Amino acid sequence: MTATPIPATYRRPLRQRLAVTLEPWLYCAPVLILITAVMLVPLVLGISYAFRDIQLLNPFSGGFVGLEHFKALGQDDAFLRALRNTLWWTGASVFFQLAFGLILALLLNVPFTGRGLAQALVFLPWAVPTFLAGLNWAWLFNPVIGPIPHWLTALGLMDEPSNILADPSIAMWGPILAATWWGIPFFAITLLAALQSIPKDLYEAASIDGASPIQRFFSITLPYLAPVIAITVLLRTVWVANFADLIIVMTNGGPADRTQTVASYIFTQAFKRLDFGYASAVALVLLALLLAYSMVILVFRQKLSNRDK
Amino acid sequence: MATMEIRSASKNYGTIRVLDDINLEIGDGEFIVLVGPSGCGKSTLLRMIAGLEEITGGEIRIDDKVMNALPPKARDIAMVFQSYALYPHMSVADNMSYSLRLRKTDKPTIAEKVRDASSKLGLDALLERKPKALSGGQRQRVAMGRAIVRQPKAFLFDEPLSNLDARLREQMRAEIRKLHRELGATSIYVTHDQVEAMTLADRIVAMHGGHIQQVGTPLELYDRPANLFVAGFIGSPGMNFLKGDIADRCLHLCDGRTIALPAEMPATMGEATLGIRPEHVVLSPAGETGLEATVELVEPTGHGIILHLTLAGSVFKVLTHDRRWLEPGASVSVSFPTDALHLFNAEGVRV
Ligand SMILES: Nc1ncnc2c1ncn2[C@@H]1O[C@H](COP(=O)(O)OP(=O)(O)OP(=O)(O)O)[C@@H](O)[C@H]1O
Ligand SMILES: [Mg+2]
Repeated sequence: MTATPIPATYRRPLRQRLAVTLEPWLYCAPVLILITAVMLVPLVLGISYAFRDIQLLNPFSGGFVGLEHFKALGQDDAFLRALRNTLWWTGASVFFQLAFGLILALLLNVPFTGRGLAQALVFLPWAVPTFLAGLNWAWLFNPVIGPIPHWLTALGLMDEPSNILADPSIAMWGPILAATWWGIPFFAITLLAALQSIPKDLYEAASIDGASPIQRFFSITLPYLAPVIAITVLLRTVWVANFADLIIVMTNGGPADRTQTVASYIFTQAFKRLDFGYASAVALVLLALLLAYSMVILVFRQKLSNRDK
Repeated sequence: MATMEIRSASKNYGTIRVLDDINLEIGDGEFIVLVGPSGCGKSTLLRMIAGLEEITGGEIRIDDKVMNALPPKARDIAMVFQSYALYPHMSVADNMSYSLRLRKTDKPTIAEKVRDASSKLGLDALLERKPKALSGGQRQRVAMGRAIVRQPKAFLFDEPLSNLDARLREQMRAEIRKLHRELGATSIYVTHDQVEAMTLADRIVAMHGGHIQQVGTPLELYDRPANLFVAGFIGSPGMNFLKGDIADRCLHLCDGRTIALPAEMPATMGEATLGIRPEHVVLSPAGETGLEATVELVEPTGHGIILHLTLAGSVFKVLTHDRRWLEPGASVSVSFPTDALHLFNAEGVRV
């Protein structure tokens, strides 16, 4: 209490104070304007659709409807089924992509002749456009022109060659298989890069300590890969959950909506029924769910890396 | 504790032979140091003993059992790596107990052994830390701890101190020596630091170009180097070499001057090299007995002075504790006590 108080009456002139406050914002302005124009405006516009009645075929639509779309969503059985399908489709696709991607990465990490060529070939599916991949797999499953039903019959897994994609109980496996084939390279590339950054002498030390290859995998490889796996699984989950191409091309959501995911449902609502308002509302729900999921994973990952410190 | 025997072992990488006809017998509890310049195959030999590198030819035995085909875990040896190779996701205690846990040793025994090792190495306060929260010296200790908890038949060290600063290296050197006295375990230690080799070894194995050059106690290698390579490699600053022809019990240098040789050396031999360590050269003022030389460079090291002289057209180093004659350009006389001379023939082998 001994410090001399600044006289309360003294204040800088208003203009000067304004200039001082504004200065940093002026420096940032170009970037802020760019971000707003390129990212925020479309986002806000899209979100605003969810609260308006926008149907392309109805010239009188466009009015504000508040939470009407969301109320309708709550009662929409097709949406709830799509939500369940999304869970199944995303979970299974990401799981198989990760599992086979990891196996592939481990195989490619072992030196053998022709490894360079093998690596290049393995990454090929990644370069195939998704629509082509979807068509390709749809044909492969088709008993008239594709071999897969005949193989399955020959193996005794199927009574007679029929189209998996037409059987409501197993139709989802078609797109999941295609998505797995298409997504393995992504995991293989990232995991291989991570594997190659593990110091070799750790494995040597562990083998001298008496660890078998499997024990070495669990005590060295897996802890090293864990952060990479967490982040790639996060990215892939968001990506696959939003990924409608393969389903649209292969099954179009059918048979009997059994392969309809939220993403393909959005596509159907927007471009088949031309109800943009309702599609935006569905998209908003998906966005919220994925954001929540990402938060959980990021917190989890933070915990994991904190524990390592 | 174990004896070890290496019989005409060799190693090829493709068609390149990096180790050739290595023969070595190591007694129980002996501390063997492998020295040699970079790339001479020290690490390769050590890794062959550990089982990390295939043995192209010959045999490696531990306790009279042939190890060639056995994987590392079946050889019961421990190794300390230059990079330490600590498991980054495990705490210090877990790093040390990893091998015991793999062997399904019971918990109380593990705890006791880890406690033992950590108190020996002064790691008690660090047991819960992760390796990345340790200093280089502490990591080095953990790597040692990981090796000693297992009580293996033998320890292998691959340049374990080369990442530490000079002071710490000195301290760790003494600790390794002490530890070896306590544990009495057979050890093979790779280094290219010859001070480490001299201070630690029971016997030194000097290697060059994939061959063993000489095996012997540190003083044997210092006093009676078997060839020019060992003579030049052991000792710091390195031994001086004077080339010339031997006739009439004298070495005739290329500039015509002569050095008298002691009676036990051959009187005539033709081309030869005479070696003398910098610390054995006797300096006297110019004009007195001996060969005259010019001072080129003066390097005070604190405990002495290294003089670089020009003698018979080449550099000749003298280590002296006398602080006079310090100016470059001065002339001095050097003479050699006859019992400090080493003679090598044209092939570089000691005579
Ligand atoms: N995988 C390999 N393929 C081919 N040559 C190799 C391989 N590993 C080592 N070498 C060669 O073997 C020789 C011996 O290598 P080594 O690592 O044993 O040397 P070193 O004595 O330990 O050297 P340093 O003191 O530098 O560690 C070197 O010439 C090296 O080039
Ligand atoms: Mg080496």
